[in-house]
Amino acid sequence: MKTLHLGQFIPGDSPVHRLDPRVKILAVLLLSIVILNAGTVGSLVVTAFLLAAAALSGLSVGRVAAALKPLAWFFAILFCLHLFFTDGRPIFTFLPAVTYEGLGLGTAVTWQFIALVVSAAVLTMTTAPSELVGGFEKLLRPFNRLGVPSHDIAIMVSVALRFVPTLLEEVERMQEAQMARGADFAGGGVIRRLRKMATLVIPLILCTFRRADELALAMEGRGYHRGPRTYLRELKFTGADYAALLAVTAFLIGVEALRFLPL
Amino acid sequence: MIKAAQLIYRYDPKDTPVLDRVSLEIPEGQYVAVIGANGCGKTTLVKHFNALLVPQQGQVLVDGLDTKDPRAHREIRRRVGMVFQNPDNQIVGMSVEEDVAFGPGNLGLAPAEIRGRVGVALETVGMLRFAKRAPHSLSGGEKRLVAIAGVLAMRPAYVVLDEPTSYLDPAGRERVLNVLWDLRQEGISVIHVTHSMDEIVDADRVVVMSGGTIIRDGAPRDVFREADVLRAVGLSTPQVTELMGRLRAQGCGVRPDVLSVEEAFREITALIGPGTGGSR
Repeated sequence: MKTLHLGQFIPGDSPVHRLDPRVKILAVLLLSIVILNAGTVGSLVVTAFLLAAAALSGLSVGRVAAALKPLAWFFAILFCLHLFFTDGRPIFTFLPAVTYEGLGLGTAVTWQFIALVVSAAVLTMTTAPSELVGGFEKLLRPFNRLGVPSHDIAIMVSVALRFVPTLLEEVERMQEAQMARGADFAGGGVIRRLRKMATLVIPLILCTFRRADELALAMEGRGYHRGPRTYLRELKFTGADYAALLAVTAFLIGVEALRFLPL
Repeated sequence: MIKAAQLIYRYDPKDTPVLDRVSLEIPEGQYVAVIGANGCGKTTLVKHFNALLVPQQGQVLVDGLDTKDPRAHREIRRRVGMVFQNPDNQIVGMSVEEDVAFGPGNLGLAPAEIRGRVGVALETVGMLRFAKRAPHSLSGGEKRLVAIAGVLAMRPAYVVLDEPTSYLDPAGRERVLNVLWDLRQEGISVIHVTHSMDEIVDADRVVVMSGGTIIRDGAPRDVFREADVLRAVGLSTPQVTELMGRLRAQGCGVRPDVLSVEEAFREITALIGPGTGGSR
């Protein structure tokens, strides 16, 4: 079985795991704003905060780095683009000039992206997918009156997540069935490999439609209807959740305020 | 009671009907097996029982509620649970317990009540220790049991199962059949659609369908006695019944309506005299 590793949930019992998902979601949202506004001092403080949050979650540096790894190329290109294409005082001239400003900007922008990914990774690694969906659903509930169907969105997302492994298994099965009849998925160039993948995509889409049909029938048979429903776990804020939300908010406002200090 | 009267249904108006004037009554607490060759209309019939299909002509009443009335659908679907053939396509939740909680959540029950029902339903099918597991990590038989638990959490009076043992290994099949029998003991009606004659010899009643009509409806012993009728519509009899039939064809004086190995053993020892074989 193939598994997805990008920010996959790691079961645990750390204080961060136990927090209400809504606290963590809100914290990540606030943190994103702070990250995108941070100056030099702010970014150092946020880095320390993220490291502390990861440590408190029981996540090792390796786990967090693993979440960043698939994006390494993106970070590298981002950094180089800023490094080479920013006007200013040249450090040395190499094709386009590499400037002090470019070095600064490249570092800052790349740091911002890394920090955003790490904060999202801490969220998804410490929160079970079902809790995450439940948290979003409850945060969106006040918008029901504005026509945001929070319950339906929650079901949509959780069904999608539920079927990811099932569909991966299906692809594997179809691949095996085609290999048994002489198809070769390993060799060939990029174009040829893509073309071979097309022979999987079409049956996969057809199968998925059939599944969706049956699923809809089964859901209807189990009394599904649009609109409000109840859940096995109703999320409830505890004292710790309020305290954490308050502390994080105060801290992040503090970091924001740093920008206005003459440092 | 589920009551179908003069039910007619066509998937395409130009075609011959899939169900042709079917009338049937299923009282509460009965274990009813529905058998028939592929395309005989048995799945179409049972889909009418919980209003997934609505009669084009005729009527289906579930405890007096008419399936043609859309306002009654929620209550009808609560009373008549439906377990489909492929459990992969009916498990909605990201974990076993969340999936079982889906139905009660749709009923709008309080979380404490949902928790209680999920526990009882998983206990009934023997899957309580799998509560936190992800559905895709389960075996075929376990998925089937989870699908049954999902229906039980709605506290139905009737449970309809469409070929619940297909693709299962013998152990998985045994577990599913035992659960169905437990439901029957608890007073829940079990409507079991199947191709396998051997697993329904203990049913209260066997309904045989062919070409969109019910051709036989009675106790297993009476239905399986008529091996010729079953064979003519593409069905078979349980293996021991078949064996007795062949012995009779050879001129042996055994009963034609034997359903279990024990009965067959008694018939054969009576025929050849005791003490010649091993003891039992």
